[in-house]
Amino acid sequence: MRQFVSRLSLLATVAAMSCLVIGLDATGKDKKGSELPLGLKAMKIPADNPQTAAKIELGKQLYFDKRLSVDNTVSCASCHDPNKGWSNGEKFATGVRGQMGGRSAPTIINSGYVHLQFWDGRAEALEGQALGPIANPIEMDLPIEKAVEKIAAIPGYKKQFKKVFKSAVTADGIAKAIAAFERTIVSGNAPYDQFKAGNESALSESAKRGMDLFFNKAKCAACHKGESFTDGAFHNIGVGYAEENGEPADVGRFAVTNQLGDKGAFKTPTLREIAKTAPYMHDGSVATLEEVVKFYNKGGVKSPQLSEDIFPLKLNEQDIQDIVNFMKEGLSSQDYPHVDPPELP
Amino acid sequence: MKRILSLAIVLVMASSSSVMAEATVDTVAGGLTNPCGVAIQPGTGTIFVADSGAGRVVRIVDGKAEAVITDFPVDSYGKGPKYAIGPLGLLFIDENVLVVGGGGYPDNEDLLRVYNLPKAGEAAIKADQMAASFKLEKTEDLAGEGNFYGLAYDGSSIFVTTNGDDTKGWIGRAVVSGTKVGPFQRAIATKEATEVDAPVGITMAPDGSIVVGQMGEITVPGDALITFYDAKNGQVLANYETGLSDITGVAYAGKKNLYVTDFNWGKTADGGLFRVIASKNKNKPVKVERIATLDKPTALVTDTDGNVYVTIIGSGEGASGSLVKVTP
Repeated sequence: MRQFVSRLSLLATVAAMSCLVIGLDATGKDKKGSELPLGLKAMKIPADNPQTAAKIELGKQLYFDKRLSVDNTVSCASCHDPNKGWSNGEKFATGVRGQMGGRSAPTIINSGYVHLQFWDGRAEALEGQALGPIANPIEMDLPIEKAVEKIAAIPGYKKQFKKVFKSAVTADGIAKAIAAFERTIVSGNAPYDQFKAGNESALSESAKRGMDLFFNKAKCAACHKGESFTDGAFHNIGVGYAEENGEPADVGRFAVTNQLGDKGAFKTPTLREIAKTAPYMHDGSVATLEEVVKFYNKGGVKSPQLSEDIFPLKLNEQDIQDIVNFMKEGLSSQDYPHVDPPELP
Repeated sequence: MKRILSLAIVLVMASSSSVMAEATVDTVAGGLTNPCGVAIQPGTGTIFVADSGAGRVVRIVDGKAEAVITDFPVDSYGKGPKYAIGPLGLLFIDENVLVVGGGGYPDNEDLLRVYNLPKAGEAAIKADQMAASFKLEKTEDLAGEGNFYGLAYDGSSIFVTTNGDDTKGWIGRAVVSGTKVGPFQRAIATKEATEVDAPVGITMAPDGSIVVGQMGEITVPGDALITFYDAKNGQVLANYETGLSDITGVAYAGKKNLYVTDFNWGKTADGGLFRVIASKNKNKPVKVERIATLDKPTALVTDTDGNVYVTIIGSGEGASGSLVKVTP
């Protein structure tokens, strides 16, 4: 058998296409003309929300500003914390008044590459997502019109909105600015990317074995693919089922589409910086990556909607450890996108 | 990865369009059950359809479906909605030899079957009465293949889209010598080449390259691709985002009119037949033009007059599928 398209030819193609520019980094510095982090492709930027330094800076301030919650206690960064892999290190997100949601806080790393947002994909693009948690009663609980009033009453914000959007403070502007900032939170140039680019010492021997298993025998790449190791799609892997062929605790994507096949399906998360974003799964039910791989190895939990890509993998203990090592070592970048909280107006 | 790699490929697509009303759609035959494949018999011009859910291949005569091959195995596709599917892609390599892609067995067991056809008026044959059959079985590293949706022929090889191993997205290749087919082997790993799932529609371009409609994820709208491969070495020649959701069929009418069917799993009301048009916009080198809105289109073929025949699943209980003729 001959595979016409070798991995090398794919690498050459990817390399040829990676010399494009996404715009600006998290500091707001104009990087026009520079190259993307190794392994990442050009991000699509909505035509009606181009990246600008001033907008990104405004978005960063809003992202870290607890005044966007009803009692000034919760910001976007409370649950999507740069010190915790842009997640929160806990099973669930915790909102105002200590309220707990039923899903974990997904990292925002590389979220600009994915079109449908939230675990169930109910929002399109980051602009469609940004206002959701602000208004959600168990997250920030601030009706959007109140949020606009609050931000508009702060002279520093009022001035920035006029500069960035040529307008007063609006809900649309808040969403666009936060989205623009979030698009700068990217992770690439990890040991995996360096290995693909030709540096054979970038990965340990165990991680190399894990990479081969990841893309072949373990079938991880059926869903965790592309520059961000996610297909941006929704799959039922059996998480959230107390018993085989039972009902899921959370119906996931089904609540959005009402298609039976989407029952218990959730969005494939990125694996970039996965070592920093425990616990895992949409319900934070799995504490370690070792347990995650073991869950897949046993074939998830059976249900009528279980993905066809989930089945017993017959991995041994060494295989499991190698895959974990690949994810931990290979996908953790030396250029982790850390951002310090900005000075707020 | 989804971008133009070869400007030359644009030359095999129409480069302009005029605003037009939707085309005329006429029902050629109804009463079909999830039809998923269509081919025109060389010499006679008779249209054959894979009446997939009914487990048979039929020829269309005076608007009626006449069974030609029966008793194909039938399986269930999807997690809800679910569709009964059996035979899928159809391809003639000459007037009397029909190749049928199977979808009625589990992955690893599905068959690519070759038939010497009974003549018009003769009794139908059983699915197991094939002249030859082939599998793409699992190996130590690779999953077994199945759901052979689309077939294309360049005179020396049959290219077959498969949907078993979702990490690879294989196109299989069966060598043809005269009317002898085989061996059948994995040839192009489309997912490694495009990073998008599920090759389904396939045809040969006028310049001899392979054109593949990459369906993408059924839960993600707008991710379907059209990709051109070199038939000799399998290298990607060009790769285009289309903005369509779930491309199921690809076919040329003449040298430049490239048509595709979009099932649009998540929003079937928006499915239909589209023409793919080259654009001068460097950031979006192709665009699509809706030719007709169709209810769950699955496959298409064109005749020498430029008409497009499309199988559609339709809505409703029972045999609600049909073959329609679209006159662009």
